[in-house]
Amino acid sequence: MQEEAANPEAQVLSWIRGDRRAEFGDAALQLHACHFRHNTPYRLFCEQQGVGESVKSWRQIPCVPQEAFKHADLRSFPAGQTAKTFRTSGTTGEGFGQHHFRTLEIYETAVREGWRLAGMPRGPFLVIAPHPDEAPHSSLSHMLGVLAPRESFIAPQGVIDLARLSSLGEPVCLLGTALGFLHLFESMDRQKISLRLPSGSCAMETGGYKGSGRTISRADLYALFGNKLGIDPADICNEYGMTELSSQFYARGPRGLHRGPFWARAVIADPVTLEEVGEGETGIVLIYDAANVGSVVGIRTRDLAIKRGDAFELLGRDPAALPRGCSRSADEWFGA
Amino acid sequence: MTSAQRAGTLAVAAGPFRALLGATGADDLLAWLALELGHAGAIDEWVDYGKGRTKAFAPETILHVVSGNTPHAALQSIVGGLLLGSRNLVKLPRGGIAEIGDFVTRLPEELRAKVQTAEELPPGWLAEAEAVVVYGSDETVARFRGLASPSQIFIGYGHKASLGVIWDDPHFVSCDGAARDASLFDQQGCLSPQVFYVRDTPSGFAREYAEHLASAMDRFNRTHPRGPLTTEEKAAIANLRAAYRFRAAGDLRVALWEGGANLDWTVVYEEDAWFPASPLNRVIFVKPLPEGLPSSIGPASEYIGAVGLFPCTEELADRFAALRPSRFCAIGRMQDPHWTWHNGGVPRLASLVKWVDFES
Repeated sequence: MQEEAANPEAQVLSWIRGDRRAEFGDAALQLHACHFRHNTPYRLFCEQQGVGESVKSWRQIPCVPQEAFKHADLRSFPAGQTAKTFRTSGTTGEGFGQHHFRTLEIYETAVREGWRLAGMPRGPFLVIAPHPDEAPHSSLSHMLGVLAPRESFIAPQGVIDLARLSSLGEPVCLLGTALGFLHLFESMDRQKISLRLPSGSCAMETGGYKGSGRTISRADLYALFGNKLGIDPADICNEYGMTELSSQFYARGPRGLHRGPFWARAVIADPVTLEEVGEGETGIVLIYDAANVGSVVGIRTRDLAIKRGDAFELLGRDPAALPRGCSRSADEWFGA
Repeated sequence: MTSAQRAGTLAVAAGPFRALLGATGADDLLAWLALELGHAGAIDEWVDYGKGRTKAFAPETILHVVSGNTPHAALQSIVGGLLLGSRNLVKLPRGGIAEIGDFVTRLPEELRAKVQTAEELPPGWLAEAEAVVVYGSDETVARFRGLASPSQIFIGYGHKASLGVIWDDPHFVSCDGAARDASLFDQQGCLSPQVFYVRDTPSGFAREYAEHLASAMDRFNRTHPRGPLTTEEKAAIANLRAAYRFRAAGDLRVALWEGGANLDWTVVYEEDAWFPASPLNRVIFVKPLPEGLPSSIGPASEYIGAVGLFPCTEELADRFAALRPSRFCAIGRMQDPHWTWHNGGVPRLASLVKWVDFES
């Protein structure tokens, strides 16, 4: 039986901050044991899978489907101790997913350390996304609020302050969603504004286009950054994260591969057997996130990727949105 | 060629496609013409019309934009165009549709010359067409609608989904038919049911029906295996199964039956009435029939193509008429519409012709 850590939050926090005495596998197994004992929906799921409290390898930890956060209270601590709940973008009828936290210290530390370890820019930042006060349930807004001060948010109520962008005297790092940047570029077109940001400027974009009815390849989006702002596509990063996780994976440039921090693992797996696929093969993305102390370690995402060594090439954020001819999938109505 | 001659020739060429097209005798085709145009020879001669006479003029050229997942719809569209005597330009999806090529080679030279196919839309085809018929996603239909000129006849068949209602079937005799409906064409067509709403009388019956349906899906799959899946489709089905497996572990209102490691078929029982997201490819939901079906199932109620009924009675059709499908039919026959079916709620031949009246 795995020993349940006396204070898993303190141990994980210390580990993320650089105490390398822990190993990923040990941490993940201890968390699994803790979650098994304190998280009833998770325990039922494990038992259904024939998995007990004790497993030999972190790869044996069951991956909870992302959608489960919509239907179950995946909380490994008493509800009364909840400090924060992030929600997925809700859709009428199908509800929204919720990720509960007893403390945000681990989440915020993981954001900062993950950013630093990935060699991401130090700033100054300009953020094209809602401030956490405007979107208190958005994990993305919270993450951006951890990285950038309040005055960096230049799109209050969804209106982008183009004057701020036009008057920059030093290089800047833009942070925002891919959709937010598309809106920026369209605003610039409408107002016939052409900008060249100071040399050395860069950007980090994240998120897909679900529900928007729009799609654009990463290469085309990055080309727009070049055309509209003068940012070299090689200086643009993509963040792969989700409400159900506490950690992020980053890729640089239009063909960059995603990598995560040492406390998280991505496995590209066959969707049926969940065995890891071979090099260059396509599978679904399984994430094992040891910073998910208060929920579950293993998440089965809906995303597809190609295995590239110890990294992965993301193929898209919504593989369920398949062309279906005249047979309409509800996804298309719900924009889910 | 007269309409009767074209019907006779088309019946021969369409013969091998009976499984896709249903009854395609010359009489069937002429009856279709007569039903929609009032007279089987309305294209060939002046026919009585009120106090005068009238004649139907078919489009010189029809552009058909067809999708690959439903070859029968594409074939029907071309057969209709040929029956009217029009020239038919057929924009196929990438990779083509084998059945279309096969059908065209079976046509006699005179009719074969009236069909041209291309996988990329050749410049000029759209402008050349007097009528444009588009099958595909809402986005595809909207794109072509935007490109068509106001003087062109435009008929678009966009997104649709279908459902079945099991009203009274204590001995589960509809299950094999329901499995056929949900399995043929791997749910790619607009007539494919994605949900069966089952009257839960006595309580627990709907869940029991789901279990029987799962057995029927398995039986059907043994004789009619599902087509190949892309990685994306496999992932979508496997992810859905994983999500419902999770829910079933802790929620008795949810149950899952999975056919084979090859993702052959999947039956999900779920108590809420919402018309759910389906990855298709033989993934079928069974839900207790709610009070007020149209208002309970969500936005899908605006996109219902066909409603299968068991038993299939006009009384039941009236009960669910608020769903506004273009077709009620018997469970087990959902994939076999009559030639005369008002696809999308419109008469398919009559929508293409223009009438010229003669008043002496």
